[in-house]
Amino acid sequence: MKKHLAVIALIVVFLAVFIPLASSNPDGLERVVETFGVEEHAPFWNGLMSDYAIAAIGDPYVSTLVAGVFGTFLVLLAAFLLGTAVAPTNLEVSDKQ
Amino acid sequence: MHIPDGLITNATSIATAVAMWIASLTFLAWSWKKAKATYSRSITALLAISSAFVFAAQMINFPIAFGTSGHLVGGTFLAVLLGPYAAMLSMTIVLLMQAFFFADGGILAFGMNAFNMAVIGGLSFFLIKLFTRGSTGNRCFIPSVFVASWLSVMVGALVAALEVSPAFAGGVLVTVPSMLFYHAIIGLGEGAITAVLISSIQRVQPAIMGGLTLLKEKTKL
Repeated sequence: MKKHLAVIALIVVFLAVFIPLASSNPDGLERVVETFGVEEHAPFWNGLMSDYAIAAIGDPYVSTLVAGVFGTFLVLLAAFLLGTAVAPTNLEVSDKQ
Repeated sequence: MHIPDGLITNATSIATAVAMWIASLTFLAWSWKKAKATYSRSITALLAISSAFVFAAQMINFPIAFGTSGHLVGGTFLAVLLGPYAAMLSMTIVLLMQAFFFADGGILAFGMNAFNMAVIGGLSFFLIKLFTRGSTGNRCFIPSVFVASWLSVMVGALVAALEVSPAFAGGVLVTVPSMLFYHAIIGLGEGAITAVLISSIQRVQPAIMGGLTLLKEKTKL
């Protein structure tokens, strides 16, 4: 458990260090879309924190960091629930063998 | 390479999006069934932490040439750690949270993104298994992780290029070469990062390298 917490802390540190260093250039697909002048229509869903930013926080670094840490824990929780949903049958299988 | 809903512009796009939803759900149902049957011990902690890491890593774009950037997808990384089935489910969770909370990748386009990154990423496992004959001790292991990572990005980009082509006046003739061009470079980043991560984990925590051995033990299923 201690090791798990240490790795989660490392992920948060990783975000804190690398968010300011991340490139804001368009990614491969965005670049292709720009190059050929394709007009995207407005999306019908803007998400709750579009572009990994929280509107209420003015500082862009803090805003992205908070959104990133929130997302990290969200995925952690969702994947944990997925893992426990997958697990029970496994244990039964290994008991039978 | 997250496809936004904004690129689903006409009837052909919509039909493609629906078809990819069906294709991805089919693969996910298969991987769910296989995950339940295959894993002999709980992978919950590893699944949760590696998924969270992949989410964080996908936020950090690295610059490549020509004013363009890319980021780790992490499909092959998850496939090595978790095996192909849990990797597909794990990546789907990451993509789902990105689409719903951060509008990174569309909702209608979710089937496309799940296929390009989760399904193809998970399937890259079998390439590594083939190259290494299922042994992480094989000296081809890390090189094959590099190659599989690069290929997973290239195949994902190729399928993405086909999927978004209805939105482009030039169709596949412009999307395929240009997507493959940028992702050939982005894929090198994917391969290098994944190879470094996996070889570090192998050195520090060799017991974690369950994905490959896990599958070998259970080949009867």
